[in-house]
Amino acid sequence: MQKLTCALLVDDDQTTNYLNQLLIKRLNITDNLLVALNGQEALELVKIHCQMATPDCPALILLDVKMPVMDGFQFLTAYNELPLPEKESIIIVMLTTSLHPQDVDRVQSLNIGGFLNKPLTKEKLNDVLKNHFNRHLPE
Amino acid sequence: MSEAPLPTAAELARANEELRYQLEEAHDLIHAIRTGAVDALAVQGTEGPRIFTLQGADQGYRTLIEQMNEGALLLSEDATVLYCNACLAGLLECDLSEVMGSAFETFVPLAFQEYWAGLLLKGWEGKSKGELPLQTRSGALVPFSVSMNVLSFNETPTLAVIVTDLSARREITAIRAQVAEQNALLDRTNAELKREEAARLAGERAAAEASRMLEGISQIAWTVSPTGANTYRNRRWYDYIGQAPGEGPGIGRAWRERLHPDDAAATLARWDESLRTGAPYEVECRLRDGAGGYRWMLGRAQPSRNEQGEIVQWIGTYTDIHEHKLALERIDQGQRELRDNNDQLTRVNVDLDNFIYTASHDLKAPISNIEGLLDALLAELPPEASQHEPVQPILALMHDSVNRFKRTIEQLTDVSKLQKEHGLPTEPVDLAAVVRNVRLDLEPLIQSSGAQLEVDVDAAPNVMFSEKNLRSVVFNLLSNALKYRAPDRVPQVRLRARPEGDAVVLEVQDNGLGLDAANKQKLFGMFQRFHDHVEGSGIGLYMVKKMVENAGGRITVKSELGQGSTFLVYFSR
Repeated sequence: MQKLTCALLVDDDQTTNYLNQLLIKRLNITDNLLVALNGQEALELVKIHCQMATPDCPALILLDVKMPVMDGFQFLTAYNELPLPEKESIIIVMLTTSLHPQDVDRVQSLNIGGFLNKPLTKEKLNDVLKNHFNRHLPE
Repeated sequence: MSEAPLPTAAELARANEELRYQLEEAHDLIHAIRTGAVDALAVQGTEGPRIFTLQGADQGYRTLIEQMNEGALLLSEDATVLYCNACLAGLLECDLSEVMGSAFETFVPLAFQEYWAGLLLKGWEGKSKGELPLQTRSGALVPFSVSMNVLSFNETPTLAVIVTDLSARREITAIRAQVAEQNALLDRTNAELKREEAARLAGERAAAEASRMLEGISQIAWTVSPTGANTYRNRRWYDYIGQAPGEGPGIGRAWRERLHPDDAAATLARWDESLRTGAPYEVECRLRDGAGGYRWMLGRAQPSRNEQGEIVQWIGTYTDIHEHKLALERIDQGQRELRDNNDQLTRVNVDLDNFIYTASHDLKAPISNIEGLLDALLAELPPEASQHEPVQPILALMHDSVNRFKRTIEQLTDVSKLQKEHGLPTEPVDLAAVVRNVRLDLEPLIQSSGAQLEVDVDAAPNVMFSEKNLRSVVFNLLSNALKYRAPDRVPQVRLRARPEGDAVVLEVQDNGLGLDAANKQKLFGMFQRFHDHVEGSGIGLYMVKKMVENAGGRITVKSELGQGSTFLVYFSR
């Protein structure tokens, strides 16, 4: 499988990030995995790496909802206002613990790739790769 | 005559003698005429004597005229009195001779001369009548009525005049009028007096009756005048204020003086308004008793009215409502406390709901992390370590614990979802279909337990509910009935449905373990488990109860330890 150029994990929970890094690494999805601890950090990374198409501009962003400083929704609002040349090539998937009905409505009104219930698994990742990148993990 | 020489004494005596003779002659003549002895008489006029003849046939009339009680006279055309009867002379206080031959107008007062002339004129034309005063010799004016007729004596017309004294009649009329007026006044006064008396009696009777009645009643009673002045207080009042009637200053006996300061203004305003408008009086107020304490009273008064609709008195009562009022206040207080408690409980409930949601949400991340870390650790362990004692059983137990933790969180999440499910749309759900479905799911359990399941829902094929929840209710009740079976007998489970009043009742009866009274209380609580040999979360019945109650229904249980249980679910239609 062709690896993604870069992926970005956004979660304030270090353990979650650790486990997701482990999973992604084990599944050989990318060699370039960035981690941000909140929306603000993620926004900075996107600003730095995606103004021009660089190898460090993530093709996939896995975004947690509840975070300090700037949460997932706030990140999306700010992201939508960024003038980026190749936005459509950046897939954002939200990761949630359980969706409050109110949040479901919010997520669906956003222009994102989708949302997944935590925890992240091999199967869920495979679905994302199939749906958005037209590739799948080896059996 | 003044030019004639003075007569001598002898001449005078002679003339005198002659005059006396003439006078005697005249007297005799008059007498003769009046008695009817003479039929004619000669009257010395300016143009010589004139002869008046009386017809013999008139003698009877003349007697009549002489005897009647009216004055009668005959007047010549020049208004000389040709004849008058004794009665007329008497009325005029004159001698007959003074009247007869005189001009009658000498008796007519100056002011009536014209009137008299008019009467004469009319009389000569035929007839006339009138009233006028005549002057008597003493100068007094006496009222008379006169009536005139033309008569003919020997072809000589005369005017016959009847004169009636009116003074007596006038006087009587005046007196009568006065008497009548006086009588009328008396009658009026009498009627007034009678009416007043009757009213007074009626009032007194009413008052007496009222007081007799009021004396006997158990309330404080009083009457006052229409202006509000006290007229009566019954014994209860004196008992209440601890005074004898008439004891102490009068002002101290009035209820207005005994009002609680906090109630006085409003109560008096109400009472004054009633006195002013006649509207019934009703008020709750505190009145001071003999010991100086205040008790709550219900004050009422009604005006009593007479037949004319006027207020004759007010009858009022004061009923002691002190205990009642205090009880009401206690109830009020109790209700306030209940409301406060309720509010507090509602707040706690909301907090609890939020807590369950937050807890289930926030616990999810760490437990899936633990699970992930466990898996990662497992991947790192060499197979010889992970597949052997003691690591293998430790890992297995850790997995079990993580799974149980996750299940609990799942259930908590379900519960928190349920809390937010209020007002879920209900629809007619085919109960039989739902039962069939659940039965299929439970088939392995039915088979393994050898249970006999009897279903009869024909009497109530449809239930108004959410289908998902109805399934959950049926599933929980049936699986409980099977799970908590008595080990020593064949499980018999009966599921029946029937309409009952406004509801549909779903009944699930088993012959299982049953519950004692103490556990029945906790049965529907969250995480309540009474048996450790059976796999259970302790959340099923809590969920069932929530679902049913959220849809306006209720659930009850009848159970006996060692006998079995019957769950009754009432679905409102």
